[in-house]
Amino acid sequence: MEGAIHSKMKPAAGVGPEVVIRMRDLHKAFGANKVLKGFDLDVRRGENVMVLGKSGSGKSVLIKCIVGLLRPDQGQVMVLGQDVYALGQDDLDHLRVRIGFLFQSSALYDSMTVRENLEFPLRRHWFAQSAEERDALVKEALENVGLEHTSDLYPSELSGGMRRRIGLARTLILKPEIVLYDEPTTGLDPITGKEIVELILRLQKKYGTSSVIISHDLNVAKLAANRIAILMDGRNYVEGSYDELRSMRDPVVQQFFIFM
Amino acid sequence: MDRSGVLLGARAIVVEVGELVAFTGRFFREAFRPRFEWRELVRQCYLNGYQSLPLVAITAFIMGLVLTVQSRPTLARFGAETMLPAMVAISVVREIAPVITALICAGKIGSSIGAELGSMKVTEQIDAMEVSGTNPFKFLVVTRIWSTILMLPLLVILADAIAIWACFIGVNMKGAVSWQLFQQQVFDSLVFSDVLPALIKSVFFGLAIGVVGCYKGYNTEKGTEGVGRSAHSAVVVASLVIFILDLVAVQVTEIMGLN
Repeated sequence: MEGAIHSKMKPAAGVGPEVVIRMRDLHKAFGANKVLKGFDLDVRRGENVMVLGKSGSGKSVLIKCIVGLLRPDQGQVMVLGQDVYALGQDDLDHLRVRIGFLFQSSALYDSMTVRENLEFPLRRHWFAQSAEERDALVKEALENVGLEHTSDLYPSELSGGMRRRIGLARTLILKPEIVLYDEPTTGLDPITGKEIVELILRLQKKYGTSSVIISHDLNVAKLAANRIAILMDGRNYVEGSYDELRSMRDPVVQQFFIFM
Repeated sequence: MDRSGVLLGARAIVVEVGELVAFTGRFFREAFRPRFEWRELVRQCYLNGYQSLPLVAITAFIMGLVLTVQSRPTLARFGAETMLPAMVAISVVREIAPVITALICAGKIGSSIGAELGSMKVTEQIDAMEVSGTNPFKFLVVTRIWSTILMLPLLVILADAIAIWACFIGVNMKGAVSWQLFQQQVFDSLVFSDVLPALIKSVFFGLAIGVVGCYKGYNTEKGTEGVGRSAHSAVVVASLVIFILDLVAVQVTEIMGLN
């Protein structure tokens, strides 16, 4: 890509050579509004990659393209060795079970209790599972996020931070290999935001997942990302670690660090 | 409105009708293919059928009573007061119970489906379901439409029974007719061709309520404002479709010689 700067840094500890997500030449437009104009990115196993961009730059569009919620106009996304847009519905559903997605709004099912929200993916995919096994997994998921006492509450009875934690618990309950986080700290106070990031890191270490984090929050980048890709004008403008980007003199990169 | 405004409005209606037909087609494609969501279907039947019982029952009772009380003077003028049970029974079974029940359900069930799915759409719950490897169309839409198809005829039968019972009360408000005699008058007047077309019609009314509610909810845009719009347009469009289907049903029964 012309004008792009890509890091030559060594992979961080725990990051394997296997590429689990490969995006090539992604283009997506909504009418005349071209959001992605040839975006490329590789995510390796065990790696936390953050896509940093301004509001409205197409970050959420990008993450939705990874799981096939949106179909790009052009380009290819390979996830765990499979071409997302070449798969039939059943194969895509099987692939999606291996990918977790934490939505910005948490997207908990309003009509279900916390327990039912957590049981929903279990019931859908592991038919042979007994009630005891389901109970144990729900208990483990709630313990992971420190909200064991909320199992009989409805989402409307939870605070924003609690909803995000339950959303994370539901995302991880099927033990996905890849987790996609859409603005995990947006709308939360700094303390709760930091707690969420620490929780993400702790659970990533526990389950060995690879992650793509979409955010405009540099605190998240500093705490969680092995590598940061800046989405600018629909392209992967630059990649590097937090420190590498922080030390760059490029004005486009520096504008993200204006408050740091 | 100028000519171009009229053309744009007409185009929007044609597009909407086309999308609604495509949505119905998708329902029929998915409705008979596994996996079947029995658990959710039972839940929806409970919500859309059982929880509509009180409203349908009260409406049917009032409908039967009012129809009886208001028809009596006209029949009395022609000395045909004894025809009252038969007239009310035929009116209720053939037309009034199916249409009024469908309109009540369009208001209650249609708006509830439109608002619920609309709210799930704008809060990304439908996307969450999809990325968890569940087909949201099958889980949310197919089950809701099946539930309205199955529940509407049952609610109509209930409305028939309650309205006829209310008619018995209405008849006895100014006279004395035994239940046996009343029953005999009602069942002597009703024939198979009164009941069956009405029930078939109510299956289509159920389909219309489910399809329109789900279509409006599933395609909600523009946040919470869109949810309100989906709920209210689900009621308006479903009610309109019910009247159109009723008109078609009348023509079909006429052609088939069932009137």
